[in-house]
Amino acid sequence: MSVETATALPPSESTAAQTWRAFRRNPLGVAGGLVLVALALVAIAAPLLADYPSGSSDDVLVGPSAGHPLGTDDLGRDVFGQVVWGTRMSIAVGFAASVLAIIAGTAIGVAAAYFKRLDTALGVLVDLSLSLPVLPLMILIAALVGPSATTLIIVIAAFSWPEVARVVRSQAMTVMPQQFIAAANVIGGSNTWIIRKHVLPGVAPVVVVSVVMTTSRAVLSEAGLSFLGLGDPDNWSWGTILHNAQQSGSLTTAWWTTLFPSVAILLLVVSTTLLSVAYNDARNPKTR
Amino acid sequence: MSTAAVGFAARRVLRGLLTMWFAVTVTFFLLRLLPGDPALAIADPGMTEELRANLIASYGLDRPILVQYWEYLVHLVQGDLGVSFRQNQPVTTVLLERLPWTLLLALSAVVVTVAVGIPLGVLAATRARSWVDRVVQVGGVTAQSMFVPSIGVLLLYVFGVTLGWLPIGGAIDEDVTGLAAVGSVVAHLVLPCLSLVLIQLGSYVLTLRTTLIETLGEDYVSLARAKGVTARKVVWKHALRNALLPTTTLMGLQFSLLVGGAVLTETIYAYPGVGRAIFEAVGRLDFPVLQGAFLVLAFTVIIANLLTDIAYGLLDPRVRTS
Repeated sequence: MSVETATALPPSESTAAQTWRAFRRNPLGVAGGLVLVALALVAIAAPLLADYPSGSSDDVLVGPSAGHPLGTDDLGRDVFGQVVWGTRMSIAVGFAASVLAIIAGTAIGVAAAYFKRLDTALGVLVDLSLSLPVLPLMILIAALVGPSATTLIIVIAAFSWPEVARVVRSQAMTVMPQQFIAAANVIGGSNTWIIRKHVLPGVAPVVVVSVVMTTSRAVLSEAGLSFLGLGDPDNWSWGTILHNAQQSGSLTTAWWTTLFPSVAILLLVVSTTLLSVAYNDARNPKTR
Repeated sequence: MSTAAVGFAARRVLRGLLTMWFAVTVTFFLLRLLPGDPALAIADPGMTEELRANLIASYGLDRPILVQYWEYLVHLVQGDLGVSFRQNQPVTTVLLERLPWTLLLALSAVVVTVAVGIPLGVLAATRARSWVDRVVQVGGVTAQSMFVPSIGVLLLYVFGVTLGWLPIGGAIDEDVTGLAAVGSVVAHLVLPCLSLVLIQLGSYVLTLRTTLIETLGEDYVSLARAKGVTARKVVWKHALRNALLPTTTLMGLQFSLLVGGAVLTETIYAYPGVGRAIFEAVGRLDFPVLQGAFLVLAFTVIIANLLTDIAYGLLDPRVRTS
């Protein structure tokens, strides 16, 4: 009898599998994911897709044509190559900054939720950091330290963690009152063990969404700093292309020097937004 | 005003002051502890050791850090932000000339966002799941995802260069007076202001839409409907008032983003505000101006948040007690 009952029931699916099944049914989320994969491939395969644009040529400010599908800039450099290599730089800086910010933000958010004595102090720190205009502060520091990829990554990460910490903390607060945490305490589990085994898995879903959203915000920050002239001088990024168009004045005459990097930024940010909205919906049984 | 209201306002002012102190302290210690040396930036590489030492002493950079911190605070309270490295002018003078333009730009952007955002939000919420609602949602998400300079360049190219309707740079024409001057200021303001409105409008409308849909499901709204209040009055008089609270709080939180957007927009349009001063100071490595500009913008954001908070606390008793 009991064997029959067991086989009559469908095998229970893991939460991850249910989330994945619900996610696949959302066309916008899937499209967002595909665009991100495509951008990542462009970033990885940049050397195969285009030569690194450098030097100058006589084909100055040529519009999109057979030789230069996205036109050339004021020094005759290929805009297609700039956008392709810019994808590599923008995503690399954005992703690296995001990973640093996620590690710091998760550590601080979990600490605030788990150790009650730290909560007020960390909460005030996060609130204060979030109420300051971040871009002017990043500009000040990046200008002082000197522009480079490392500077960009560290400066962006240093001002992106509070957002992560706030989200992780509020998620961890919903895990804390669960009985398994109290039980883990009673059987004498150490703090690190409880955090690793019980709290971190509980906040993992919001951390996953955070990686995507923080990367997208970090790419925007990188573009902003580079646009103002604080980008890595040795690498093309989407913001650097716009900076050059602004500096040379070609933004008023040659639309292709600004349109294509702008479209690249828009694609990345829209697809991350769609992806994380779809993931959140798929994870939530109410909206699944 | 009741004592509760005074207490509430006092607590908020105190929090604003704490945030200002935090901004000032973070700036000071970051600048002193970071690898870059501000004295090196002004010091010529070919300068003699003696000249360099004199220069460092004249900026007070040779004394213990806590003494420097104290003096820095004292100077700041007196409105002294140091001297611009390149322009040989007090930073306060440089920035106070610029601040009114930034305030004009930011305030007009907020006013237009609210004026356009409320009707759009109401339209989307009252016709939830209709095509109007979907257009508003997709448009909102897209606008939110745009890079500020991209919007700026797009508007500049279309309305300034191609159509030639509006000026593409500066804040006012030279040699205009009276009404012509006002017209010139407005004409120069339209495109930068519109760029800032577009980046904020998305989240404003989407938040208003969500909270309004929630509010429209509340019991008191059903009661008003049951009493025979007209549909229009239910939305605009009963539901909207409550839905505006979280939306306004969001606006407050977005002030700091708006200021960042203003820096980028002013750069595109050569608009003579604090943001453009930042862009120029980056090119000249003028650290006192960069530092002063951050503090001026931070104080502006803090004061704007404070005023929103207090105004809302006075209008809505729930905020005071929570």
